Amino acid sequence: MAQATSVPASALYDAILAAGVTDVVAVPDTHQRSLIDLLLASDAVRFVQCTTEDEAMAVACGLIVGGRRPMLQIQHAGLYACVNNLRGVGIDGELPLVLLVGLLGRDPSRAPRETFDSMVRLAEPLLDALEVPHFLIDGPDDVHSFGEAVRLAEERERPVAVLVGMQTV
Amino acid sequence: MPERSRMPLDSALDVLGRRRGDAVVVSTMTALAPWRARAGTDRDLVCLGFMGGASTLGLGVALARPETPVWVLDGDGSLEMQLGSLITIANAAPRHFLHVVLNNGVYDTSGAQRVPGEGMVSFVGLAEAAGYAQAVRFEDVESFDSALDALLEVDDPVLVELMTQPTGVGYQVPEFAQAPRRHPFAANWRGVRDALAR
Repeated sequence: MAQATSVPASALYDAILAAGVTDVVAVPDTHQRSLIDLLLASDAVRFVQCTTEDEAMAVACGLIVGGRRPMLQIQHAGLYACVNNLRGVGIDGELPLVLLVGLLGRDPSRAPRETFDSMVRLAEPLLDALEVPHFLIDGPDDVHSFGEAVRLAEERERPVAVLVGMQTV
Repeated sequence: MPERSRMPLDSALDVLGRRRGDAVVVSTMTALAPWRARAGTDRDLVCLGFMGGASTLGLGVALARPETPVWVLDGDGSLEMQLGSLITIANAAPRHFLHVVLNNGVYDTSGAQRVPGEGMVSFVGLAEAAGYAQAVRFEDVESFDSALDALLEVDDPVLVELMTQPTGVGYQVPEFAQAPRRHPFAANWRGVRDALAR
């Protein structure tokens, strides 16, 4: 595979706004910290910080009930931590949740599934097991995937994940 | 705590039901079926299938609809599963947010096993430490009935800990959730969304 490269946080931020996201429900992720800085400073989206990813899933659901268009921003460790709420809220509840998931520890020369670190290696297989479609942003050319993920989530009325391969800059 | 100093769950729900108005109410576990039976409307969200999620489900609605009162009918065992939600809620500071913790000391739906910390944990103390605007415990229904109107006037998050008697009923699948063609939560939240949009 081609070497993965960093994604400009500003490009991802613009994609989030272009997709009409109103609220980012988050548990901070080292990998996406430059994007978090932009989101925290933004007047265009609300940043709702949670103590766990389980909470984030339920908050996002409540926001949708109230007519908003939220997304989740978490780390791969958080994805593993919130499997029951991803299932119970997102899948059984048929919610169009988009999860932006940072792959901290990614080896840029290998596909995530071939990375030594289980935190990275198991993310895609876990999403496959949960029947959650996923995109991988491995460089600036992949940023358009975010908008596609939002459209797919709303079309399927189910969660969709966008994996951020390299640290945002 | 001896049972004589706990109020019946039904009496506590009656007090709330009389003041329900247009509030969105999130119920879960033991309170879910009796609440819907006595005071249910098309603004009732159910936390069904993700125990512990009621408080943050309510927070999301409150942040989206700051003009609408949101009540969460939580359980002691449920809240303990997502105890950090007290901090998340206080930090987000939703308006018109009433968090009711029905503290019966047991996992009522799964065989009445004792909840960890029963008799020691103060949910009022936890809420105050997390940053709720007010937190009050009630052991009898009359005191709760007398105080509730004033608590509903508080703008910032309020937690009410109600010492209730275990029902002893065990888990019952609510009528609306029996033999579904889709998971009942999927239909439930859409109904509430549509009701709020009207």
